[in-house]
Order: sequence, then structure tokens, then C-alpha cells
Amino acid sequence: MAATPLEVRNIKKRFGDTEVLKGLSLEAQKGDVITLIGASGSGKSTFLRCMNLLEQPDEGEIILHGDSIRFKQTRHGREPADMKQVVQMRAKLSMVFQNFNLWAHMTLLENIIEAPIHVLGKSKKEATEHAYVLLERVGLTARAHAYPAQMSGGQQQRGAIARALAMDPEVMLFDEPTSALDPELVGDVLKVMRDLANEGRTMVVVTHEMSFARDVSSQVIYLHQGLVEEAGTPGEVLGNPQSPRLKQFLTPNY
Amino acid sequence: MLDLQGYGPRLIEGAGVTVQLAVLSLLLAITLGLFTATAKMSRNWLLHGIATVYTTLIRGVPDLVLMMLLFYGGQIGVNAISDILYYDFEIDLYINFNAFAAGVLTIGFIFGAYMGETFRGAFMAVDNGQVEAGKAYGMSSALVFRRIRFPQMMRHALPGLSNNWMVLLKTTALVSVIGLTDMVRVAAEASRATHEPFVFLIPVAVAYLLIASVSEWIFARLQKRYDIGFGEH
Amino acid sequence: MPDISAWFNDLLSGNLIFTPTTLGYYWTGLVTTTQLVFLSLVIGLVLAVPLAIMRSSRRKWISLPVYVYTYVFRGTPLLVQLYIIYYGVVFFDGIQQSFLWPIFREAFYPALIAFTLNTAAYTTEIFRGAIKATPKGEIEAARAYGMSQGLMMRRIIIPSAFRRALPAYGNEVIFMLHASAIASVVTLMDLTGAARYVYSRFYTPFEPFLFVALIYLCLTFAILFFFRFLEKKLLAHLKPQTL
Repeated sequence: MAATPLEVRNIKKRFGDTEVLKGLSLEAQKGDVITLIGASGSGKSTFLRCMNLLEQPDEGEIILHGDSIRFKQTRHGREPADMKQVVQMRAKLSMVFQNFNLWAHMTLLENIIEAPIHVLGKSKKEATEHAYVLLERVGLTARAHAYPAQMSGGQQQRGAIARALAMDPEVMLFDEPTSALDPELVGDVLKVMRDLANEGRTMVVVTHEMSFARDVSSQVIYLHQGLVEEAGTPGEVLGNPQSPRLKQFLTPNY
Repeated sequence: MLDLQGYGPRLIEGAGVTVQLAVLSLLLAITLGLFTATAKMSRNWLLHGIATVYTTLIRGVPDLVLMMLLFYGGQIGVNAISDILYYDFEIDLYINFNAFAAGVLTIGFIFGAYMGETFRGAFMAVDNGQVEAGKAYGMSSALVFRRIRFPQMMRHALPGLSNNWMVLLKTTALVSVIGLTDMVRVAAEASRATHEPFVFLIPVAVAYLLIASVSEWIFARLQKRYDIGFGEH
Repeated sequence: MPDISAWFNDLLSGNLIFTPTTLGYYWTGLVTTTQLVFLSLVIGLVLAVPLAIMRSSRRKWISLPVYVYTYVFRGTPLLVQLYIIYYGVVFFDGIQQSFLWPIFREAFYPALIAFTLNTAAYTTEIFRGAIKATPKGEIEAARAYGMSQGLMMRRIIIPSAFRRALPAYGNEVIFMLHASAIASVVTLMDLTGAARYVYSRFYTPFEPFLFVALIYLCLTFAILFFFRFLEKKLLAHLKPQTL
């Protein structure tokens, strides 16, 4: 039996005196698309960033394929015991950021082949060939040699998705991938993400796009103040919300 | 025509010393500066403290005083070591504390402090998202530094670096005081010997302006290279 | 470690380095350094204001000569400038016969001239930058109220440029203090000169040079705090008010 690609248990995180995550868990089986929704400040982005340790959770476990990340206690709080393990783990979970974070001093193509060459140890030729396949998929072949600053936000985000795909990730983490985009550019990015879901990619997505959550997810988790308020299939959570807060959250207020 | 009264070759040699001294000091200063910037940004209080004391002391004391301290003090230190080697171990090793080495060490040491501040500011100007993206793709800290932080930092550091280099270049003139025959020392000697200061000192001044202009051109080209990808230039 | 303890005992008992005589040298050095730096800064500042206004002029024949002056003096080492003036002063016709000769024969005045010209060049550029950074709106407002060019310069641009230039000028003052150490090269008994003299008499570099380094450090901090204080007083109006 193949182990669960990504499992997180009882994640807790505080910033100073405020506890932003109060014990969150999640299990992504192969092919799952899990969407995290919630008002801003609900902790959904922090939760996602804890999964690949861009934030250090104060408590909780992160398990990839049954392999648990080891932590140690230092003066600065809890930290990973073995950075090598973290680095290997991150290479399997590629993240797509809200602000794209394409490396500004590299062309799009260079962005895509950077980590496959230097982290995965692929040859430049192999990485470049793969990069062109991915560029084709996201419709950016013509922009391979453009620098991020020369591309629109939507192009940058599709490029960033190609960069994430180049790692052949086991799980893809999306941190509000459409929030920084002009409304007319959101559609292209969502389409790429839907295609990825349909081909069976395992994804954890923080988003405000309810249509995406409804149509694509296998599971929707509604967070409120660092706790899971409701979780289940899109039909249960979005179609038949129980808590008044979620009901209000789902009511368009314009 | 300019009559250098036979001092021409020595002046040119002196100019060579000036340029070598400046370039080597710059390399040392950049290395020290990178270490200092890293130490200042580190959470380790000891490293942070050492770096802070270093930059504060260096910026509070004249270059010439530091240079003399290192040069005269260094000679005595070296003598003490060779004394110990001779009397205690019977090794006869006379080390002459070389003025050129003293010059490179002092100037590099002084400008390492200034470079440290330049690099620290430049590192902090790099967008954190760029670094996070590197980490998120499984890059080790060393790889993130080499491939992302360093090249992006250089763009912000170059104006300060260029400025420090111009000041450093002029500071090399001070080594003539501790006995190194750079072009200033040759010109000063010649002025005293021939009683024609303008003939020797003005060409030296022009040489400094020339070196400065050439470096300005080089820095402009470097800036162009590191500005790639950041808006239109 | 017998060597070190012996050295230490020697330092405490038979102290040759900090005798009344050597302390007198340091005092003379401190006075000379202060005089040199203070006088050159004051004269340099007085020269720099009109030069900065000329340098900001749109007329090339006014701004260009000032630019050449600042370029040359900022682009070459102060030591070279000092040598040129120190060795070159005898070449001014008749100076050796004139009543000024006893003054110029001493190293103090060539050093003062070199330092003044040097700091004036740097200060000119600092002020020019500050003048250039005057907010466009302030100039337009002055024009709108019918101020002449001269009046606007005097009442609006210069006062606001002075304030903006303050932090950079503070650095220039510290720079001059440190640069003044080269006065010792032309035989002046400034602070560094005093240390060199004590060193040459006792062949002990650490005590005299560390001692004057400490004095320079204190002076640097004094200047730093003075300018912090000045900035706080003069730039307070630029900070957002907290009620």
C-alpha cells in the first residue's frame, strides 16, 4: 500500500502572543485536491506555509510518505533537526506563491530549469527539454526568454506554475495563486490549475475562488481563527453550510 | 614636453603598485564585507557583537592611525615571533613585515567595515519572496545564497561598492607614508629632490582621475549586467 | 608566560609612554588637530554655499568651472593635494619676500589651505544635491507669491537644503577629522604627529597609536552625537506628528 503523500497533524503556531493556528490537521491522498478557505486572518496561508516549513510550526507533525520531519528544541523555539531532510521534503512539495516570486534576475526558462538542475541534479539539456514541454502546456513558449518584469501578472503566475511542475512534485501547494492578479487574468491561471487537478495531481490550494473550490476540490476545509470550522466534500461544505459564520462567508455581500 | 628627469619609469612602477594595492585591498575588503554583513544579520549574538565592534571601531579611527598601528605594531609582533622561533626552537627565520602586505591588510581591513554596511543594506533590499521561492524548491541555504541572494544583492550593492572603491583608491596614497613606493611616494621624493613639485605631483593627480574614470566605466557596465530583469534600462 | 607579565610590570612601574612630557605632546596634537579641522570646516562651509549655488546654475559657464573644481578635488587623494600646496607654495612669485612668508613657511597654513579646498569641494556637492532635491511644489509656491530668484534662493531653497544636507554633512565632518591625520606627514604635530613622535622616541607603537585612536574615537562619537542632536532639533518638523 502506498503511503499518504502528505499528512500534517495538530499544527500549532503562535506569533508573539497570538495563537494563529490552534491545532490543524490534514491528509492529502494521491490525486486529492484540498482547498482551504476562510476570511483573511483565519490562518489558511500560515497553515500552508507550515507544510513546507517556510514557517516553523510550534507543535505538530509533518509526514511525507510515512516519513516524519524531525524537530529539535533550540533557544529560538522548535526547529528542524536535519535541514537535509527539510530540503529533500521541499523538493517534493513545490509551492506556487501569491506574488509569483519568479526570480527577477533570470529569464522564465532559467527560472524553470534552475531547481531541476541544482536541486534534482538533472542535466541542462534534459531540464530544458522538459521546460519547453511545460511552457507549451501553460501557453508561454513564446516568452521563454523574457524576464519576469517584462510579463503580465497572469503570465508570471502561469510561468511560476510551470516552474513548480518542473520539479515533478508529489504535492503542489498553492498560496492564493490568483489574489494578486487583475480579474481578467484570473481565468487563464484557473484553467491551468483545473487541468492539473483533472490529470490527477495532488494539490493543496488556499484560495478565494469559490467556483474553483466547488468544481475541482475533493475536499474543502473552512478555517476560522486557526481552527477547522467545517470540512468535507464541496457539496457538504459549500452546498450545505452548517455554521452561521460559514453561511455569512459564502454570501456574496455586494 | 613634460621632463620627468629620469623619474618616469619609477613613477610608472609606482602607479603599478597603486593599482595592485587597490585591487588586492578591494578583494580583501569584499570578502571581509560579506562575512561582516552575514555576521551582522545572524542571530548569533557573539558574531553580531564582533561585527558591530569591528565596524564601529574602524569607522571611528583615522585610516592612517590604523595603518601605522598595524604596520609598526605588526613589525614588532613579527620580530617577537621570530625571536621566539630563534631562541626557543633555534629556527633562524627573519621575517620582514612587508609594507605592501601591511598596506593590503590595513586597507582591506578598513574597507571591509564599509563594505559590510553596503552589503548588509543590499541583502536586506532583496525581496524575501525571492529567497522563499528558492527554499520552497528545496534549495539549501548555500545554494539560495549563490544562485539568488548574491546576484540579486549585487544590484543593490554596486552603487555603494563603486563609491567605496573610489574612496579606497585615494586611501592607497597613505601607504607612501609607511614606506611603500607607490606613485605618490615617488612623486613626493622627486619633488623634494628636484624642487619641481608640479612636474611630478600633477601627473600623479591626473593618473588618479584617469583610474577613477576607467573604474566608473567598468562599474556602469557591471550595473547594467546586474540590472538585467529589473525593469527597462 | 613570563614575557607578558614582565612587560606588564614594566608598563606600570617604569612608564615612559605616558609621562607629563608625552601627555603634553598629545595635548599639543589635540589642539592642532582641532584648530585645523575646525578652521578648514568653517572656511570650507563659507566657500561651499556660493559654490553650490553656482554649481546648480543652468548656465554652463557658471556651473562647469565649479564642477571641474569639485571633480578634481574629490577625485584625487588629499595627500597629493597637500603635497602640491606644501611643496608648491614657494613657487608663488615674491612670497618668500613678502610678510606672509613666516606664515606659509610653517606647515600649518599649507595644510589648512589643502584641507579647506578639499572639504569645500565635498561640501559643495553635498549642498548641490540638497538644493536639487528641493520639492518642486515649494519652488512653485514661491514663484506663485511673486518671489524673485534671489529671494527664493535665500528664503526658501537654502534653508530647506541646509536641513536636508545635515546628515551627509555630519559624515563629511567626521571624514575631515580622520583625513586631518595626514597633517603629520608634513611635519605637523597634530594628534597623529604626536603619536608618531612618541613612537619614534620609544619604539613602542601600541601605546601611542592606540591612545590617539581612542581620542579620535571619542571625537568621532562627540561629532556623531552633536549631529544627531542637531538633526533632531532641525528636522523635527519633517517627522509625522504624534498627538
